[in-house]
Amino acid sequence: MKEQLKKAKAIIEGYDGPAVRVMEVCGTHTHEIFHLGVRKILPPQVELISGPGCPVCVTPAGFIDEAVWLALEKNVTICTFGDLVRVPGSTKSLADARSLGGKIQMVYSPMDAFEYAKEHKDEQVVFLSVGFETTTPASCLSVKMAKEAGLTNYALLTANKTMPGAYEMLKDSADVFLYPGHVNAITGNALNRKLCEEEGISGIVTGFTASEILTAFAVLLKKFPEGNPFFVNAYPRVVTEEGSIPAQKLIKEWWNHVILNGEDWYD
Amino acid sequence: MCRITSKSYDNERWNGGCRASGAKREVSAELIENLEPGDYVMVHAGIAIAKITEEDEDEAEDLLEGLL
Repeated sequence: MKEQLKKAKAIIEGYDGPAVRVMEVCGTHTHEIFHLGVRKILPPQVELISGPGCPVCVTPAGFIDEAVWLALEKNVTICTFGDLVRVPGSTKSLADARSLGGKIQMVYSPMDAFEYAKEHKDEQVVFLSVGFETTTPASCLSVKMAKEAGLTNYALLTANKTMPGAYEMLKDSADVFLYPGHVNAITGNALNRKLCEEEGISGIVTGFTASEILTAFAVLLKKFPEGNPFFVNAYPRVVTEEGSIPAQKLIKEWWNHVILNGEDWYD
Repeated sequence: MCRITSKSYDNERWNGGCRASGAKREVSAELIENLEPGDYVMVHAGIAIAKITEEDEDEAEDLLEGLL
């Protein structure tokens, strides 16, 4: 075992501090923590809570209903990430719509949907745009590419969301958040620092390898017993303070940000 | 749709491509400045969102050194 992993593991296994609730915000973290067997080495005082960061889980049934309606009633070709196909709407899923003759294309990326629209100009193509800050730039880019290509048959049905309001709503549900590194790669760290300084919300940005996840747990288990809110970027090789300026610019250029309630964290 | 770490190569269509675990995939490199073939990137939903270093060990070492 590599030296830094041994150090992290020793810190985690030797933790004798107070009980701590850690929320892994991102579904990929949940998966990797399970896959790597991290739970097995966590002391009993550490409770892991799975957070809201799965784009599919937070997509409302009404969104699926709209997509099904477009496919079946308006003869629209729906392009979607495969994750959404079996998600139930009020009465039908996209898989049901496909079995009834609806055109449902699974794509890996919004750019694939754009390419489909370019190659099928006789079809009205709608990409189901879901996800958080990390996925939104890709949707924006596909629209930009469609405009540049002069397409008039490509559109998005949007259900994109942002994370900061969720952190604020969930602040009493966890003592420390494991922040998803790919979100912060886009947004930068200012929002998380603000949550720490103004709301007392502790968190640590981390990546997805064994080394990165164990390091994050070691850092948080050192910091938490000190009793002060903290923010640590434990993923600086990917996450910079300012985030991705080109991505932020792309979102501002192509997206209207709607505030349903609370504060606009992106002002 | 989630992220993957991969190695970039030249590709004309979306100005980028990546290899990961033997698979090749066209991606957009629109958001990355100064990307060279062979650089490592994080890819999410078909778009390279960040340039990264090949190894993470040094970073973990530095973080832990600061704690001990």
